[in-house]
Amino acid sequence: MKTLLEVKNVSKQFGNGTKALSNIDFTVKEGEFVSIIGPSGAGKSTLLRCINRMIDATSGEIIFDNDHVYKVNKRELKKVRRKIGMVFQHYNLVNRLSVIENALHGRLGYKSTLAGILGLYSEEEKLQAAKVLQILGLEDQIYKRSDQLSGGQKQRVGIARALIQNPKLLLCDEPIASLDPNSSKVIMDHLRNICSSMGITVVVNLHQVDVALKYSDRIIGVNGGKVVFNGTTQNITSNDIHQIYGSDEGKLIFDLGGSHAG
Amino acid sequence: MQAEGPIKPFPAPAGQDLDNMLLERLSKKPFSKSSIAIRMSMLVLAVLTIYAFSSFDYKDVKLWDALILTIDNLKTMFFEPHLKHFTFTQALYQVSITLGLAFLTTIFGAIIALMLGLLAAGNISSKPLSVIIKGLVALIRAVPTVLWVLIFAVAAGLGSVAAVIGMTFHSISYLVKAYSESFEEIDKGAIEALQASGANWWQIVFQVIIPSSITYIISWTFMRFEINFAVAVAMGAAAGAGGIGFDMFMASGFYFDLSEIGAITYFILIIAICLEIFATQIKRKLKEAS
Ligand SMILES: Nc1ncnc2c1ncn2[C@@H]1O[C@H](COP(=O)(O)OP(=O)(O)OP(=O)(O)O)[C@@H](O)[C@H]1O
Ligand SMILES: [Mg+2]
Repeated sequence: MKTLLEVKNVSKQFGNGTKALSNIDFTVKEGEFVSIIGPSGAGKSTLLRCINRMIDATSGEIIFDNDHVYKVNKRELKKVRRKIGMVFQHYNLVNRLSVIENALHGRLGYKSTLAGILGLYSEEEKLQAAKVLQILGLEDQIYKRSDQLSGGQKQRVGIARALIQNPKLLLCDEPIASLDPNSSKVIMDHLRNICSSMGITVVVNLHQVDVALKYSDRIIGVNGGKVVFNGTTQNITSNDIHQIYGSDEGKLIFDLGGSHAG
Repeated sequence: MQAEGPIKPFPAPAGQDLDNMLLERLSKKPFSKSSIAIRMSMLVLAVLTIYAFSSFDYKDVKLWDALILTIDNLKTMFFEPHLKHFTFTQALYQVSITLGLAFLTTIFGAIIALMLGLLAAGNISSKPLSVIIKGLVALIRAVPTVLWVLIFAVAAGLGSVAAVIGMTFHSISYLVKAYSESFEEIDKGAIEALQASGANWWQIVFQVIIPSSITYIISWTFMRFEINFAVAVAMGAAAGAGGIGFDMFMASGFYFDLSEIGAITYFILIIAICLEIFATQIKRKLKEAS
């Protein structure tokens, strides 16, 4: 399968102090579901944000869909960004706006400044938004204000906003860290479904090893700003996982047996 | 170690000892340089006040009589109000001019302040630009509106033009602070999300910043309108900007018509109360909406 994302020798240093990432290398193929796991402060969020340049890497190269992300100009970067959807732990919706208004924000990158300012969306875009919201089970919430939704529903609006971009890649930074187990499952099922049936590549930061094992094709383990594991979910051993988290044997809670049900 | 119970961080002395200790501390109130300076100034001021009252050249005015006359004047003003030099409809017209002055300066101020407020908000603007605008605006705000009007009167001459420019000037500085602080309180998550989807600055301003802070914008703007109404009354008198303030100036300084002053005061009071009620209602509506 075609390579969609290439991360080459990427490092990131904040100011003169913390080196958050050092010499990160990996590739992601089209249609893959990749989980990035690792302890707190390992650099997972930084890594994800370096991909769409929400944070600028200090050195290295990133090639996404044949575009050199660090060589394009500002205007072209916007075009790259609209092909990459982003989903956040805290949903990051505009609370005062309705569900569909929030979802339609995903279209702004395709619109003229004026149309975006006035919130003028075409019938086609509105229809697409309604369709995506229906797929995510939000058809009854379309005109509700976003702050009246539950966490799980908000996250689905966040996913809808990303999907309406027609992205090739979805970056999710701990999408289920603030959700209960039921909503977490709903969200992860949706993400897996988006990957499998829509063919959108998904890269997700996770804190739950068992969830990562259950849903992903491949796992990238990060510790201390370095990739310490990169392999398929079938091939990962409990030893690998302990190494990723830098902890002693037997202290972590996870279960390799139930892996890869998705 | 006790698992629960009151925490005693210090080995406190028992009851009587503690009281004594505290009393001792209190009596040892530091007699510092600044406290001496304050006491001395108070003393000097008190002596000067007494001396001044005793040595004023009162001419024929007796203190007691003056007091009674003042009360009598107030009585005329507020219990026998009437209009003589202009009619009720003319008064209404003049009030509308004053309201118009307040409205115009608030709207001008709001529009310019909105733009500057966006540039002054640290989360959506660049750091140096934000610091510069905030600093300038703080300087402008430190000088009272009336002074700004008088400053602009140098170029424009005393009158409505100087009043409009000066009042707008101060409104801008006031609203830039209010707006930019509301913008800075907005959760940066939604801004980040739209940046990540390829939206541009203007789109983010109108799709995130404005919708998230619209209730604050409205409340602050209306608050400024109330202030500007009061200032517009004063400007009518002080800068010859017209309106009810000018009539009041004429009634007091020209015709010495106490009853008319009372009537005008009532007029202004009623308008101010109406504005206050209106403002409260707007705020309640906004609260319900959010
Ligand atoms: N804006 C910043 N300025 C300075 N240091 C930062 C900044 N953002 C992150 N860091 C540092 O970079 C390192 C990696 O942080 P990052 O947020 O990427 O970790 P993470 O793996 O996402 O952790 P978590 O699982 O807790 O979210 C940390 O040491 C952090 O303190
Ligand atoms: Mg993180």
